[in-house]
Amino acid sequence: MSLLSRLKRAGNEDGARVRIRRRKALAALLWKRLRFIRVTLLLVGLIWMLAIPLPMLSQGTYIDENALQPAQVNTYWDWADVHRADRYLDQVEEWVQHNISSIERADMLVTEFQKLGIPAATQLYAYTNGDKVVQGANVYAVFSSPRASGDEAMVISASWLSRAGEGDGTLNRRGVSTVLALAAFLKNYSLWAKDIIFVLSDGYMEGMHAWLSTYHGSVQSNLRADPLVLSSGVIWTALNIDYPGHSFSHIGLFLEGLNGRLPNQDLVNSCQIISRYTGGIPVLLYDQFHHSEFPNKDVLDLPFWLPEFVKRNKEFKEFSYRAKNVLRHVGYQGRGMASGVHGLFHQFRIDAITLYGEPAPGPHGFHAMGRVVESSLRTTNNLLERLHASFFFYIMTSPYTFLKIGKYLPSAVLISVSMLFGGISEWIGAGWRVKKAEGGNGKSNTATSEVKWARQPRPLLHALCIVLYTHAFGFVVFLALTGTPVLNPVIMLFLFTLCLTSPIPVLCSLTSFARRDELPAINRVLKSINLCIASTVISVTSVLNFSLAATTAVLLGIPLTLASSSPLLPVRTVMYLLYVFLAFGWMVWLPGEMQRALWSWEILGVWFAPFVCLVYAPLALQGGLACLLPM
Amino acid sequence: MIFSWRILPATLLLYVLGTLASPTSETFQEELTLRPLRDGKVISRFSFTTLREGAVPRNPELLEAKDIPQYYTLFPLGLGQVLREYAASELHLSLNSGKWDYEGWGYPGEQEVGTGAQLWAWISDGGSATVDERWKGLRNALAGLFCASLGSLDDQRTTSPKLAFVPVGDLPAWKLPHQLRHATLPSENVCTENLTPFLKLLPCKGISGIAGLLNPHRLFDADWHGMSVHVSWREGRGIEVRLAFQAVFDPVRLSIDKKRDWSLQSIFDKSIRKACPVASSSRIVVELPKNEAYAIDPKPSIVQEGFAVYDTSHVEKDLDISLRWPLESVFSYPLDPPLQPLSPLSVQRILKGTSQSRGQLSVSIRNTLPSEVQAVYLETMPWHVQFYLHTLKILVNGHARDDPLSDIAYTPPVPHGRPALLESVLRLPPNSTTQLDMDVMKSFLRYTEHPPDAQRGWDLPPAVLVPLVNSTSFVASGASTLLGNDMSRRPRIYTRTLLVDLATPDFSMPYNVIIMSCTLIALTFGMVFNLMTRRFVVVKLRETPGRNEVPMEKTE
Repeated sequence: MSLLSRLKRAGNEDGARVRIRRRKALAALLWKRLRFIRVTLLLVGLIWMLAIPLPMLSQGTYIDENALQPAQVNTYWDWADVHRADRYLDQVEEWVQHNISSIERADMLVTEFQKLGIPAATQLYAYTNGDKVVQGANVYAVFSSPRASGDEAMVISASWLSRAGEGDGTLNRRGVSTVLALAAFLKNYSLWAKDIIFVLSDGYMEGMHAWLSTYHGSVQSNLRADPLVLSSGVIWTALNIDYPGHSFSHIGLFLEGLNGRLPNQDLVNSCQIISRYTGGIPVLLYDQFHHSEFPNKDVLDLPFWLPEFVKRNKEFKEFSYRAKNVLRHVGYQGRGMASGVHGLFHQFRIDAITLYGEPAPGPHGFHAMGRVVESSLRTTNNLLERLHASFFFYIMTSPYTFLKIGKYLPSAVLISVSMLFGGISEWIGAGWRVKKAEGGNGKSNTATSEVKWARQPRPLLHALCIVLYTHAFGFVVFLALTGTPVLNPVIMLFLFTLCLTSPIPVLCSLTSFARRDELPAINRVLKSINLCIASTVISVTSVLNFSLAATTAVLLGIPLTLASSSPLLPVRTVMYLLYVFLAFGWMVWLPGEMQRALWSWEILGVWFAPFVCLVYAPLALQGGLACLLPM
Repeated sequence: MIFSWRILPATLLLYVLGTLASPTSETFQEELTLRPLRDGKVISRFSFTTLREGAVPRNPELLEAKDIPQYYTLFPLGLGQVLREYAASELHLSLNSGKWDYEGWGYPGEQEVGTGAQLWAWISDGGSATVDERWKGLRNALAGLFCASLGSLDDQRTTSPKLAFVPVGDLPAWKLPHQLRHATLPSENVCTENLTPFLKLLPCKGISGIAGLLNPHRLFDADWHGMSVHVSWREGRGIEVRLAFQAVFDPVRLSIDKKRDWSLQSIFDKSIRKACPVASSSRIVVELPKNEAYAIDPKPSIVQEGFAVYDTSHVEKDLDISLRWPLESVFSYPLDPPLQPLSPLSVQRILKGTSQSRGQLSVSIRNTLPSEVQAVYLETMPWHVQFYLHTLKILVNGHARDDPLSDIAYTPPVPHGRPALLESVLRLPPNSTTQLDMDVMKSFLRYTEHPPDAQRGWDLPPAVLVPLVNSTSFVASGASTLLGNDMSRRPRIYTRTLLVDLATPDFSMPYNVIIMSCTLIALTFGMVFNLMTRRFVVVKLRETPGRNEVPMEKTE
């Protein structure tokens, strides 16, 4: 009965009037409070990012795929196998001492595999990067498991150079020896349901990249690699063994792959459980020690200026431990860098991680490493399907805790929403101007209701041209960076000056093509487009590569929101300079980082360098232009 | 005693009737071949042949009429009934597990070594039931008989190649011609449940004779194992059923001190205790190593052409044949790549590309013979992997050529219905590598078409290469005279099976999908309904005249 009467009341004209008024009042309120809402969203987003390492946001890891059954098998790797690994190590040491070439070494490795009755072959490869040529020889062996059809395969790999020092020349001697000894050992069992491929790649990343690209038939113009003589099936999982030291105390898990891809979390959790329960080895995330393990040592590297009581606070220590892990993750993922050789596998839909033997005087060695790898292989051998049950999007805060996507994604999205609101408000503002006739009156009068507004056309085309110009300029910079064979400081300084002076064509063309009274509107539309694009970029990227989106949001969120012109030319110029430094400062300040990003793009196809040049820097430059243009 | 006397007349009567009604006689022969390989492995091949002399396959035109009574003594009854019921003239079934390594193990004695299940039959047309109906019945009956998933060899997997699968025996010359039906199931696993019905078809089961060596614990631990059933008819001889089991053992893996010495006891964990009394011939043939010092024990009955032959039709005491290399303390694998690979033709087939929509099929065939070889190349693909013939590129020793391919027969696939079939004749120049590259497109499946283990991917059947030469040139040694009956036929080389990733929905989220789509539908419906039932009027917000006359809607 009441429902009917309410329907009736809503049906008459009064009800409609009330509702329309209410709606208008709400819109007006939102419009009035827009600045507050934008600031709130921005701040909440930033604070949320700061809160990601908080223990209360994380949850414990667990195994989702029931088939895995980690650490549920008896391992057979024994001291005889350790002895064999030691003998292999002697040979490796001998090769290192005699300083033999990688091709000779590859041939010897092939012979070692053939002695075991496993077909093996070498693959020569050469990359041309500018006028430099990087070449090497990979060795791979395919153990066709008994009774298996060879449709599926698992990879055990070790690169010649260790990830310790990111391939600066530390050799992965014991990793290579472990793989050889494992080949001899694994062959004795008929329980493998998939082929096992042993890959000993040359170099750090480049060898494995050449091998994987050839295996999957992906063509790269600057890579020349021998075709593979031996073939196997679809690779589902891969374990990369990195054991550079004499012994190790912990196993470090390295997850991040190229372009921010992560392996399925089940693999990480399985290896973590196996290391602890089968191998009896404590596990680290990366090589970051937990503070409780070394109470007397400062393993967290806390800043010296922190007061002592803060440094000793347990909660703070836990927070900074997790924050260090998250920052490490963001560093790898945001730059699209792989944290180890395993990271090259992810682009081919192979779940892979690196087991890193953290160098230490003891207590673990080949015995523990072999058992962990054997048991991990038994676990991945159980898979009837690809790993698909657990998470692909997560942030590990410790080896045992992680954040689901829903717990961290909103932080970047909130910032992006705040920027979008900013863009929309600028767009609306650009379409109205204060009426000239009553303009003076309106300004002197404090009652805003007296201000008369008039529509004005938005100079969309001009603003769009500027936006397109900045992106094209970014592209030119990118071409210049990739095309220049040697990037010495002189060239970089020249390029940076070019970047500084990049708005000259814009200013010149504006003075000749645009009317003086159009300039403020152009500025507003420019800022509006800038904010909208930045917001879109952040929210889209956040799903693909959260770390990159978050970094972009932090770097651009506040600056782009604050970008506004000023009546004073010196203020405008200083603001502009700040923005250019934000956009292109890396050329001067981070030349090493830039070289690495360019190398990653040329050789491994990492999108970070093009993203910075074509998306990030132009967006910041647009902010600078929005400051530079007169209001 | 009294009881047995009473039933004697009836038994006698039955026996007399039986001998009268069946003019055919049956013979059973068994043979085991053991062949040590250079990498320390041993190929064992069991062959059990039952010949029903004078019998002819059933004419399908007489399927409606009552079948004449069949009296079997040694011939497997279960199989015989299936053959009569569906009037199949020739039938070949193989169930294999593992990947045959042609280069390392040579050309197999039992040539049907494609991974998984394969069934092909020559069936004559005629009668009221069509060939396809009887093919369906046949595979379902065999599925029941052998406990294998042959029932799923449906129309989506069945093809009729013209050249690759010629009949082994003769086909009766009836009014209507015979048709071939061929299907493979690469993901079929072979295990004990298939061996038990296989043994049941043998006259001595697994109890005596060389079939007593078929110990499932060891057979299914072998590097490769497979069983096959071959039924063929030869004019003037009769119907022959040959059951075969082939396995590749690795004595080095089985031995503690890493030697390649083997004995029946060490590889089968059994020895021959008694002979199969109904076997008309029973023997074990061991290929002897060449240019090596070896010891074989016990002394063979005959040694000829490098083969040791043991007659096992009479076994007095436990027979345990062993072959030893007394000078070797540890087996060392041959290091240098041997000059002559054990198989003159080798095929490598891979599916490249990582995207879920496209890929490239790459087949590379190496011919190490000093003469040109013509070979039939047969490629069968389920409809969801379509290959584009116009993208076919042929490289011979790295140079593009298009003349090696001739007589191309292509049956295009029918989505959700029929697989694609490509059959053509390849000319392989002497000492060359021929590479065929073809672009393939991966289809987008309906969600109900995905198997329960959707994330595994789809298994693709092996390609088949049939060199148009006799097998004799394919076996390195002159073993053809001794090593059985199917050496005069054309060899058949199977490639690896493949696994292809198709776009797979996330099946763990059906509820999310349902909730999401229901919400969208509800929202759309609400909006449309609202618009349809709404009347638009002008509402005056304020009494003051001017800009505040806003057209607004009002619900009725």
